[in-house]
Amino acid sequence: MTSPSELDPFETHTGRPRSMPAPPPPSPPPAFDNTEAAPVYARFTDTDTMTLPPDPFIARPASRSAGITAQNVSAWFGDHKVLERVSLDMAPNRVTALIGPSGCGKSTFLRILNRMHELVHGAALAGVVELGGTDIYRGNLPVTETRRRIGMVFQKPNPFPTMTIAENVVSGLKLSGMKSTRSYAEIVEDCLVQAGLWNEVRNRLAAPGGSLSGGQQQRLCIARALAVEPHVLLMDEPCSALDPTSTRRIEETIAEICERITVVIVTHNMQQAQRVSQSCAFFLAGENEPGRIVESGPTERLFSEPEDTRTLDYVRGRFG
Amino acid sequence: MTVLDARPIADAGDVPLRVVVRRNPADRVYRGVARGGGVATLTLMGFIGGFLLLRSFHVLNARGFAFLTEKRWLAAQNGPFGIAAVLPLTFEIAIVAIVIAVPVATVAALFLTEYAPRRVRRLLTSLVDLLAAVPSLIYGLWGLFYLQPHLVHVSKWLSDHLGFIPFFHVQNGTALSAFTSSTFIAGVVVSLMVVPVCTTVMREVFAQAPQGEKEGALALGATKWGVVRTVVLPFGRGGMIGGTMLGLGRALGETIAVTFIISPFFQPRASILANGTHSISALIALNFSESVSNPTARDGLIAAGLALFVVTLGVNAIASTIVARSRSGASTEI
Repeated sequence: MTSPSELDPFETHTGRPRSMPAPPPPSPPPAFDNTEAAPVYARFTDTDTMTLPPDPFIARPASRSAGITAQNVSAWFGDHKVLERVSLDMAPNRVTALIGPSGCGKSTFLRILNRMHELVHGAALAGVVELGGTDIYRGNLPVTETRRRIGMVFQKPNPFPTMTIAENVVSGLKLSGMKSTRSYAEIVEDCLVQAGLWNEVRNRLAAPGGSLSGGQQQRLCIARALAVEPHVLLMDEPCSALDPTSTRRIEETIAEICERITVVIVTHNMQQAQRVSQSCAFFLAGENEPGRIVESGPTERLFSEPEDTRTLDYVRGRFG
Repeated sequence: MTVLDARPIADAGDVPLRVVVRRNPADRVYRGVARGGGVATLTLMGFIGGFLLLRSFHVLNARGFAFLTEKRWLAAQNGPFGIAAVLPLTFEIAIVAIVIAVPVATVAALFLTEYAPRRVRRLLTSLVDLLAAVPSLIYGLWGLFYLQPHLVHVSKWLSDHLGFIPFFHVQNGTALSAFTSSTFIAGVVVSLMVVPVCTTVMREVFAQAPQGEKEGALALGATKWGVVRTVVLPFGRGGMIGGTMLGLGRALGETIAVTFIISPFFQPRASILANGTHSISALIALNFSESVSNPTARDGLIAAGLALFVVTLGVNAIASTIVARSRSGASTEI
């Protein structure tokens, strides 16, 4: 266990070695494989999210997805234990949804996966988190590089308001000191297309990021997160503040990017979890007890025939 | 209360309702007190300005534009007097102070809000507040007896190596005595007093930088400095400018420390390292005792005070406007 004193909330590694070791091979096959029930996504035909023909000038990066594994993860805020021995495999190229009522530790778990948890004063954690087989807490990977590889989209859209839309997209490249062979203009277009925002903003890339609507801001944040070429994208209730149209577009974006990136999404919306995810984990915290995973597995099974009655009650909307 | 009219509301006519707010007595008393406080502040300001204007009016009237163009101050000797030298020199001292204080204050404020461990932060914050409370006389004494003997070497070095820049050029700059009592030394001492004011203003603004945006930057793989550059500094820009202006206001009015350091000089000049400078507040302090018995000289000093009052008021008005305008991205809250 890591005691609170060992976690310095102000510690930030500066400078990333220019030559990072190549990402290790993907982790072993996931514990829960859902090959039988391949999900079918509704394809909307509006211009913004139409599947684009392959563009020879935009080289789509090959899959860089890496699985992320948590073993026996516990978490504390001061003396208050919020998570207990949570283990979960989040397989590469899949969408894993974390569901459960408020206060059950889903978001805390998500923030542990990219080392954002330790930024909170008094926060502590125990257990092992591995990205493609590399321990992100005990390994040699600098924390900034860990966070670049494991991107995050937050509940509340947080574009940089003083930057333009285009600057927002490439901000991560500058912040993480990442070198890219592609020009900024290409990256801006590619990432905005992936995030389903390109058609709405193509003529005003120089407008401030704050001038967009909430749903557009959130898609801008997704584009920004994709620009640094993460292996994993964590999404903390990305649609909870958005209208249904924006929600739909973001779900389509998730379906598209999970071909290349591992996605972990926290959601309060049961239908959303069913729509976007292939795997699902149900978190629950008893009264005055830390949160635990009650059940995890293929989304289809968890929603149709869960093993635990509490899961059944939750997914049927009987509580939470 | 009247009984609600039974007619449909549509019949009342499509005109804006006259909104009447009935306040309870406690609310009315509170509003009265608050309003009284606000009015008192403005009244006080008006009284000071009015007094200065009234007392100096006949002098200003008699001297006319000469008051603004005359460099010498020979009022006590019944000679000509004006602020053409002391006003620019006042600004020179203040600008030297700001140029030194603002970078120091910015870095200190960033350290306090972003880098310092929690316990150190609390300690240092109260220390900075304490520094702001140290009487300027103490700064003046320390500056005169400790800083000046050391700073003259810095002045000489600057003059020797950067003398080709007009600011650092000193004629006959071979002896150390040519560098004492200069604008530079007075400015350094004043900057010590300005740093805590600037730091406090900037720290408060930096501390309000939105957590969501900071986490957004961190989640992209940013270092601490990256967060400061992309989120904290753009957010705090208004506060930095405001803090600078408030510091400038304080620097312009600083009296006793400047009075200690300077040797009076009545010629505006570019060189900040050379012996001899002046400021309006130091002028008033130095000439006051010999001027009280001479009405013209006394009211001339009051006229100089009026000039300082107007300038300081202007600087602070600009500062508060900038602070209030805050940042361009403030509208991003959903």
